[in-house]
Amino acid sequence: MITTVIGNYPKIPDMPAPGKWRSAVEKFQKGQLTEAELHQVEDEVTLEAIQDQVDAGVDLITDGHIRWDDGQTYFARRLRGLSINGLQRYFDTNIYFREPVAEGEIAWVEPISVRDFEFARQHSPRPVKPVVTGPFTLAKLGRNTHYPSGREFVLALARALNAELRALQAAGAEIIQVDEPALCQHKQEYPVFAEAMAALVDGVRAKKVLCTYFGDVGGVYPQLLQLPFDVIGLDFVAGYRNWDVIARAPFTKTLMAGFLDARNTRLETVDEIKGAVRRITSIVPPDRLMIAPSAGLEFLPHGVAKKKLERLVEGTRAASQTLKGVRA
Amino acid sequence: MSLPLLPTTAVGSYPKPASLIEARRKFARKHLSKDELTELERRATREWIQIQEDAGMDLLVDGEQYRGDMVAYFADEMEGFAIAGLVRSYGNRYYPKPVVVGPVGRRHPVTVEWFKYAQSLTSRPVKGMLTGPYTIAEWSFNEHYPTRRELVLELARAIHQEVMDLQHAGAKYIQIDEPAIHTRPEEDFALAVEAMDIVTDGVSAYTVSHICYGDVPKIYPAMLKLAVNQLDLALKNEEFALLETFKKAPFTKDIGLGVVDAHSHRVESVEEIAEGIRRTLQVIPAKQIFISPDCGLKTRMTEETVGKLRNMVEATKLVRNELTGTREHGNAATRVR
Repeated sequence: MITTVIGNYPKIPDMPAPGKWRSAVEKFQKGQLTEAELHQVEDEVTLEAIQDQVDAGVDLITDGHIRWDDGQTYFARRLRGLSINGLQRYFDTNIYFREPVAEGEIAWVEPISVRDFEFARQHSPRPVKPVVTGPFTLAKLGRNTHYPSGREFVLALARALNAELRALQAAGAEIIQVDEPALCQHKQEYPVFAEAMAALVDGVRAKKVLCTYFGDVGGVYPQLLQLPFDVIGLDFVAGYRNWDVIARAPFTKTLMAGFLDARNTRLETVDEIKGAVRRITSIVPPDRLMIAPSAGLEFLPHGVAKKKLERLVEGTRAASQTLKGVRA
Repeated sequence: MSLPLLPTTAVGSYPKPASLIEARRKFARKHLSKDELTELERRATREWIQIQEDAGMDLLVDGEQYRGDMVAYFADEMEGFAIAGLVRSYGNRYYPKPVVVGPVGRRHPVTVEWFKYAQSLTSRPVKGMLTGPYTIAEWSFNEHYPTRRELVLELARAIHQEVMDLQHAGAKYIQIDEPAIHTRPEEDFALAVEAMDIVTDGVSAYTVSHICYGDVPKIYPAMLKLAVNQLDLALKNEEFALLETFKKAPFTKDIGLGVVDAHSHRVESVEEIAEGIRRTLQVIPAKQIFISPDCGLKTRMTEETVGKLRNMVEATKLVRNELTGTREHGNAATRVR
C-alpha cells in the first residue's frame, strides 16, 4: 500500500506573500521578465512542490503541474489543429480554464510534457508520475468545429495523445496517469470512451493509471475493469457512491483510492483515514492499493494542501501498522 | 421613480480607479486607515453614479467600489467565516476563499450604509446588491455544517434579513446574485429554489437574480421557479444563443438582458447592441425586458466600461423609438426602415 497524489499542487504560498510565481507572471506580462526567466521561476516552484511531497513522505509524486495553465490548455496549445478560446467553468468548481477548439486535423507535433517529466525525475528522490489529460475529457471540455462527429473528435485526440504517452515512455516513464474526470458526467458515452482509451494506450507498455474524479463510476463498473489500464483511480469524496459501486463486482486491478477531500479545508483525522483504509482493504488487498486525495490539491490554499499531504501519509501508515498487527 | 420601457441598468461591479486599488493595497498593509480608504471608496462611488447618470441609465448600481470579491466581502462582514488563503481562479488570478468555521449569520447590516449613500447621490433608483446564499456556500469551504443544505438555508435566513433591511432603507429594487446556482443542477437546484424562497419571503421590493457562467439551458425552464421578479442573464457572450432555449418554454419573468460582453475589450457598436435587443423582442415581449451588460464590469478598463454603457443606452433608445414611434430629446438616431 503506497501513498500518491492526483496531480496539481498550489503554486503560491499563503497570504500575505504574493509568491515568486505570481510576481514573475505579473512581471512577464508587463515585459519586465523574459520567457526564459519565467521558466526559471517555474522550475524553482516545481522543486518546492516536489520537496513538499517528499517531506510529507508521499511515495509516488508528480511535479505539481506548476507549469500548467490548466489541464486542457497545457496539452491543447501544443497539439496541431486546436486553438484556445475563452474561459469556461471547470466542472462544478469555481476554477476556470480556456476552452480548446478543434479547427483542423488534430496532430501531435512535438513532446508536450516530456521535458517537465524529465526535470522532475532528475530532481526527485521519489518516483515521479507524469499525468496526461485524457482525450475524452479534452473533447468534453472543448469544442469541435472540424470533425463530423463527437466520436471522431475524441478519437483524433486519442491518437494524438498516444504519441505523447509513447514519448513519455521513451523518456523512461514507468507509470503514466491519464485523467478522465469527464467520464463521471458522461457515462452514457462509455462505448466511445472505451474506444478512445484503446487508441490512447496502443503500444504503451508502461504501467497505466486511469484516474476519475468529481463523481462515481456507477453504470460503467465493472466494464471499466476491461480497459487496458493497470490502475483505476476513484474519488470516494464527491464519488462517495463508489463504495457501493465497487462492492458489486470484484475489483481486479490496483485501486488508487481518493479518500482525502481535495476540495475542502477541513483536515481529515488519522482515525478517519484509518477507517477508510480498513474498509477498502476488505474489498481490495493492500498490495493493490494506492491511497490519495480525491483530486488535485490546487483547489486548496498552500498551507492546507501541505497539511493534507502529511495527514494522508500519517493516516495510511497508521492503517498499515494496524493491518500488520491484525495479520501477526 | 417609474422606469421607461426597456429600462437600462447594470449587473453590479465597475472597475476601481488606480488610486483606489493602490489604497486597498496600502490598507491591507496597514499603511492607510479605514476612514481614509472609505473616503476613496465614496469618491469612486460618486464618480460611477455620475457616469451612469451621464450615460442616461435608468436604474443604477453603486459599482461595488468597497468590495474585493463578491463572496469574501459578505464572509468578512458576517459571523462564522474565516479566510483560508488564496485559491486560484484562473491564470495568475487568485481569490481569498472563505471557510465556514462556525454558525453563520449577520453581526450587523452588511450593505445598507452603502446603499443609502449611493441612493443619496441621485434621484434615479439604485439597486440593493447582495450575493445569494447558494453562491456564498458554494464558493466557500465548509468545515462546520454537516451538509451543504444546512449551510445554504442558514445563509438564506441571514440574506433575507439583509433584504428586509435594504427594503426598510428605501430600496425599491434588490438584486440577489447567484452566479453559482447551476453548479450542480440535478443535485441541488431544488435547494437553490428553496433558499431563494426564504430570501425573498414577504418582500415587496422588485427582486432580481443575476445568474452567469455555466449551463443555463440545463436549468431552463426550472429557473423560472426562483422567487424573484427578474432573472438577469448573459446573452451577448454567446451571441444570443440562449434565445433558442427561451423559445422552448415561455420566459414568464422579466429578463435582465445582457447585451454587451463583460469579458471582451471591444466596445460593441450601437447598431450591434440594438440588433441583439431586436432579436430578443421576437421571443420576449418588450415590457418584460431590462437592458444590461452581461455581467459585472470590474475586470474592464474604465474607458471600455463607459463606452459599453453609453452604447448600451443609445442602442436602447434607438429600439425604444422603433417600438413607440417617438423620439427622445430630439437627438435619437433617425429611424431606419
